[in-house]
Amino acid sequence: MTKVLVVDDSAFMRMAIKNILADKDYEIFEAEDGALAVEKFIECAPDIITMDITMPQYNGIDALKQIRTIDGNAKVVMISAMGQEMMVKQALVHGATAFIVKPFKHEQVLQTLAKVAST
Amino acid sequence: MSGQFSDEPMIDVYIFETTQNIEQLEQIILASEKESNFGEAAINEIFRLMHTIKGSSAMMLFNNIATVAHAVEDLFFFLRESKPAQVDCAMLSDLVLSGIDFTKVELAKVKNGDTPDGEATQLMQEIRDFLQLLKQTNFPAAPPPDRTPAPVNQQYYISSDRRTPHLAQNLFKAVIFFEDDCEMENIRAYSIVHNLKEFTSDLHYVPVDIIDNDASVAVIRENGFTILLKTDSDYAEIHKLLNNTAFLKDFELIELADEQEFVTFQTANNLNPMELELKLHEQLAEKVVLNSVPKAPTELKSGVAQSIISVNVDKLDKLMDLVGELVIAEAMVTQNPDLTGLELDNFHKAARQLRKISGELQDMVMSIRMVPLATTFQKMHRILRDMSKRLGKEVTLEIVGEQTEVDKNIIEHISDPLMHLVRNSIDHGIESNQQRLAAGKTAPATITLEATNAGGDVLILVKDNGKGLDQAKILQRAEQHGLLNKPAAEMSDREIYNLIFLPGFSTQEQVTEFSGRGVGMDVVVKNIEAVGGCVLVDSTPGEGTKVTLKIPLTLAIIDGMNIRVGNSRYTLPTTSIKESFRPKPNDIITDPNGNEVIMVRGQCFPVLRLHDLYQVATAMTDFTEGILIMVEQDTSSICLYADELLGQQQVVVKTLPNYIKSLKKITGLSGCTLLGDGSISLILDVGGLLEHVTHQVRS
Repeated sequence: MTKVLVVDDSAFMRMAIKNILADKDYEIFEAEDGALAVEKFIECAPDIITMDITMPQYNGIDALKQIRTIDGNAKVVMISAMGQEMMVKQALVHGATAFIVKPFKHEQVLQTLAKVAST
Repeated sequence: MSGQFSDEPMIDVYIFETTQNIEQLEQIILASEKESNFGEAAINEIFRLMHTIKGSSAMMLFNNIATVAHAVEDLFFFLRESKPAQVDCAMLSDLVLSGIDFTKVELAKVKNGDTPDGEATQLMQEIRDFLQLLKQTNFPAAPPPDRTPAPVNQQYYISSDRRTPHLAQNLFKAVIFFEDDCEMENIRAYSIVHNLKEFTSDLHYVPVDIIDNDASVAVIRENGFTILLKTDSDYAEIHKLLNNTAFLKDFELIELADEQEFVTFQTANNLNPMELELKLHEQLAEKVVLNSVPKAPTELKSGVAQSIISVNVDKLDKLMDLVGELVIAEAMVTQNPDLTGLELDNFHKAARQLRKISGELQDMVMSIRMVPLATTFQKMHRILRDMSKRLGKEVTLEIVGEQTEVDKNIIEHISDPLMHLVRNSIDHGIESNQQRLAAGKTAPATITLEATNAGGDVLILVKDNGKGLDQAKILQRAEQHGLLNKPAAEMSDREIYNLIFLPGFSTQEQVTEFSGRGVGMDVVVKNIEAVGGCVLVDSTPGEGTKVTLKIPLTLAIIDGMNIRVGNSRYTLPTTSIKESFRPKPNDIITDPNGNEVIMVRGQCFPVLRLHDLYQVATAMTDFTEGILIMVEQDTSSICLYADELLGQQQVVVKTLPNYIKSLKKITGLSGCTLLGDGSISLILDVGGLLEHVTHQVRS
C-alpha cells in the first residue's frame, strides 16, 4: 500500500486525484493548504505527495521546501497548470521529483505515481 | 454531459466549489471597486480563484469556462507581476464581473444537465483588448514581462564536481521523445538535465533554450530532446535514469566512441564550452525565489482546521426524515393506548429519558441544517451595484444580522423574493439624486437588510429611506383593476399597502428594465407563503418603506395542537392559535347571507365550521357542544369550529401525497402528519383558511 498525500486547496481537484487512485493500491491522505500539508506529512509519513502550486497563503513551493528540509528524500509530484512553467522549474530545483500538468488524464497520474514510487 | 469525470459526485463538487469561488470573487471585486483600488491581496486572491476555476473546468472539459477563467487569470497575472500604475478600476470590475456572469450562466447549464456551450468570443476580445491597453498605457516603450519572465540564460549544466579533477570516461548521446499531450515538454527536458547533474561533468543539449523560450516545446515535440554528456557512470546507469522519466514515449541512448562526435555536435549547434556557469542552478533558484517572494514558513496551525466536513444535503434530508419517524415512533410508544389505566412508574421514567434524548437529537439535526443568511444577503451587493449604476442612483447597502440562521431548504426559497424586493426598492422606492437633495435628504440612499430571530420565526427586513408608498395611487390603481374588496375608507394603512402584493398590481406606469418582468410583488408573497411565511409592509410617506418577511426557522417539525372533527384529526400550528373557548349561544350572529360571525370582546370574527368545509360527518354541530379556536395570521383572525381539542404535540410535517395533490386542490391544508396512536392528521394552513373565508364573504 503506497501512502499518497494529496495537497490541493480545491476539493474538486483532490476528489479528481482520489477518484483516479481509488481501487488501486493507494492509501490517500488529504491536505488543503501548504501548512496543513507539512503537518500531515509529519503525521502520516506518506510515500508520495501530490502538491498543487497555487494555494492561498502557504503555497505549494513553500510547502515543498519545508517538506524537503524535513526529509531530503521526500517524493513530491507537483500538480501544475499551463502557464506555470517558471514555478515548475523552481519546484524541480527545490527537489520536486516529477510534475503533472492540469488538465491531466487518469493514465498520466497513475503512470507518474507508479514511476515515482519505484525510484 | 461530457468529460472523463462525468460521474455525479464530481459534478456536484465542481458546481459547489465553483459557485463558492464565484461568490467569493464577486465579493472581492465589489469591495475593491468601492475603494477604487485593487490591492495586492485582492489581486492575488482573484488570480488564485480564477486559477482554480480554470483548472477544475478544464478537468471537466468545460473548455469555454476554462478559457474565460484563463483570460482573467492572465489579466491578473499581469497586474500582479507588472504592478501597472494606471488601471481603470471600473472597467476592470466590469470585465471580471462579465466573466463571472458568463460562468454563472454556464454553471446553471451544468446544473441542469446541459452542456455548457456559451460563446465568449466577444468577452475574450474585450479582456484581451483591456490587457493590451493596460500594457500600452503603463509601459509604452518597453514591453512588460511576458507570462514567463526571462530567466537566467542557462544552456547547459556543469556539475560542481568538475572542480575535483577526475576524468570523465564515457560519452553518451541520448534523444528523448515525450508522450503526446503531456504538456510542458521544455520543463520535462529541464527536469532530465536537472536529474543528470549528479552524474555528469559536461553536458550539452538541443534545443538550448528550454528555459527561456516556450517555443522550444514545439522543437522537442518534433525532433526530440537531444543530450550529449560525459560521465563516469556506465551505460546501464544512464539508461535506467532516463528510463525513469515520466511521460517518456521513446528514447535512444548511444555510447559514443570518441570525442570527435562530441566536438562536431558542439560546433554544429554553436555551443561554447563554458567555464563560468558552475553555479547556474543556484542562480536560477535565486532568481525564481525573488520572483515568488516566498513567505517565511508561518507557524503550523494546529489540527483543528480539518474539523469541518461537507455533507450532501440529501443525506441531511434523510436524517431529518428519520428523526421525524423517531419522534412519531416515540409518541406511538409512550402514548400507546394499551398503557391507559396502568400504573407504570418505571416505564414513565424511562419514557421521559427517551423523550429528552430524542428531543436533543432533533435539535441537533435541526442545527446541522441551519445556514447563515450571509451568502444570500451578500448576493444583493451585486444587484445593488448593477442597478444603481444603470439608474444613476447612489445607494448603499447596510446588512444587519447576517449571521442569523435559517433552514437550508428555506433559504433557497427566499433568495429570489429578496432580490425582487431590493430591485423594487431601488427602482420605485428610491428617488433620483436630485429629488433626494431637493427633499433635504442625503444623496446616497440606504437600503437595509436586517435579519432577527423572533421565537420560531426569522424576520427579514428590507428597508429603504426613499419616498415611501403613495396610498392614493395604490388605491386608485387597485380600484382600476377591481382589486378592492371593501370601501377604501374602511381600510387600514397596512391593508392598503398590502394591495401591492395582489396579482396584477403595479403602480409603475413605465415598466423599467429591472422591475417589470411580467412578475409583480405577488410572486414575492407566493414564494414566502410556500415556506409557511408571510409578508408585511409598512411605509411612511417621505421617509421610506419597510417590508418584513416572516419565515419559519424550519419546515420539518412544528409544535401542533391536535383537534378532532367527527372521526377526523387535524393539527393547527400552535404559533397561530390565539385562544380557544366555548361560546355562549347569543354571541353568534348570522348575517343575511348565512355567514356566521362571533362577537368576542366587542369585535366580530368570522366563524368557519371545519365539518362543513371538509364535509365531515359529526354529531356536534351546535356551537355550545364543540369548541371555537381563534387563529391569526397577518393581523387578521378567524374562529374555527371543531369538536374538541386533543392536545399539544410536536408533529413532523409531511407533504400531502402527490396522488391527492394532483387529484384536486384542497383549501387550507399544508400537509399531513402521523399521530401517536397511528392515525393520520391533516395539518391546517391558517393562511389558506383565512383566504377561503374572505372569498366566501366577498361572494
